[in-house]
Amino acid sequence: MTLADRIATFRDVVEEWLRGLYHGMITHPAYEKIEKEAEDLEDAFMLACFPDAFGIPSPVSYYTAELLPYLSEEFEAWERRMWDRDSLVERKGQQYHF
Amino acid sequence: MARFVFFGGKGGVGKTTVSSAYALECVDAGLETLLVSTDPAHSTSDVFDQQFDDEPRPVEGYDGLSLMEIDPEQEVQDHLMDLKRQLGSQLSPAMVNEVDVQLEMAHQTPGAYEAALFDRFVEVMRDADPYDRVVFDTSPTGSTLRLLSLPDLLERWIERLMHKRERSIDLFEKAAIGDMEPRRMMEGDPILARLQERKERFEFAGEVLRDDASFYLVLNPDELSIRETERSVETLAEADLPVAGLVVNRLTPEPDPDEEGRGARFLRQRVQTERERLERIDADFDVPVVATIETRVEEVRGTILDEVAAELEVDVAPADGVAESRS
Repeated sequence: MTLADRIATFRDVVEEWLRGLYHGMITHPAYEKIEKEAEDLEDAFMLACFPDAFGIPSPVSYYTAELLPYLSEEFEAWERRMWDRDSLVERKGQQYHF
Repeated sequence: MARFVFFGGKGGVGKTTVSSAYALECVDAGLETLLVSTDPAHSTSDVFDQQFDDEPRPVEGYDGLSLMEIDPEQEVQDHLMDLKRQLGSQLSPAMVNEVDVQLEMAHQTPGAYEAALFDRFVEVMRDADPYDRVVFDTSPTGSTLRLLSLPDLLERWIERLMHKRERSIDLFEKAAIGDMEPRRMMEGDPILARLQERKERFEFAGEVLRDDASFYLVLNPDELSIRETERSVETLAEADLPVAGLVVNRLTPEPDPDEEGRGARFLRQRVQTERERLERIDADFDVPVVATIETRVEEVRGTILDEVAAELEVDVAPADGVAESRS
């Protein structure tokens, strides 16, 4: 193996590490943050659609029930999440990977 | 005169009688008329002595009159069954059970009846092409008329839901970096499509109710019914749906002047109080009294219905015109 080859391999490794580091520290948390926020919004949407799952009557629940065939998978997961959700600080804190 | 005419009022004041009589008047005026009853007790079947169901069916003996009876309970059941079928075709049975509970619950909320009725009303209004006039005998389920004032509110509600959904989908799309498939996509989202469809339906209902419908309230000359009518007039006015007129039903007939028995004295006294109440109604309401109908000895059906129809002076002509009040 020539010196040039060894340098090239080394540079490849360094580059991969740097890209990984960048992704882990910058892009990934950002992407995760956005997705978490989207999930939170979706939870709010579900709560607005099916408040009667938690005993709050809603004038439109008869209509939103029509969405259930499309939402059923999310619905079950959402309900479970809502029942044992951590505090807001914990939920928002997850993204900082302490 | 509007194409859709609603009769409302407290339970037991004679809405069915008045709306049936009005429908007959329309038929006499040469209008192709559909009478829609929402009373689960099916009193229109008794009035015309024929059986009807939730498809419009011509009434025997009256040319140009069709009738349909909507059973809100049946509507709710149908809606529920429909959704269950959809669920079953899309999901594994284990999953269906979980969601089933929620479905059942949504169909037992206090508003389910009204929502189902409202849906059906909109459907009838959509398919009203063959008829010149559609008369709704609203059920005494209390808030049917109130519900008609709700499309605005429901529309806004649905809009908010759509907005929430759009924002979360937007974020999901942004969160998908590189070649990753976003978890939700704005295009072809069935939820948004469903909500949009709902929203359009409410918009349609709101438009038709504002532009092409008139409302009459039926009341009896007694305190309770006057007060309830006052409230209904207010609710409808708040929703920009002004009441076109009041129909006072069940007035006591006056005895002949030479009669002096106990019954005659009783009747005379009743007539007196009712006259005072009528004056009060005239003074208190901005809405004109368009007809007064005397009480009958028998149930109103068959030929008596024609008599009542003659007493009813609600304007039926397609042209505009203020109905005269009887006094």
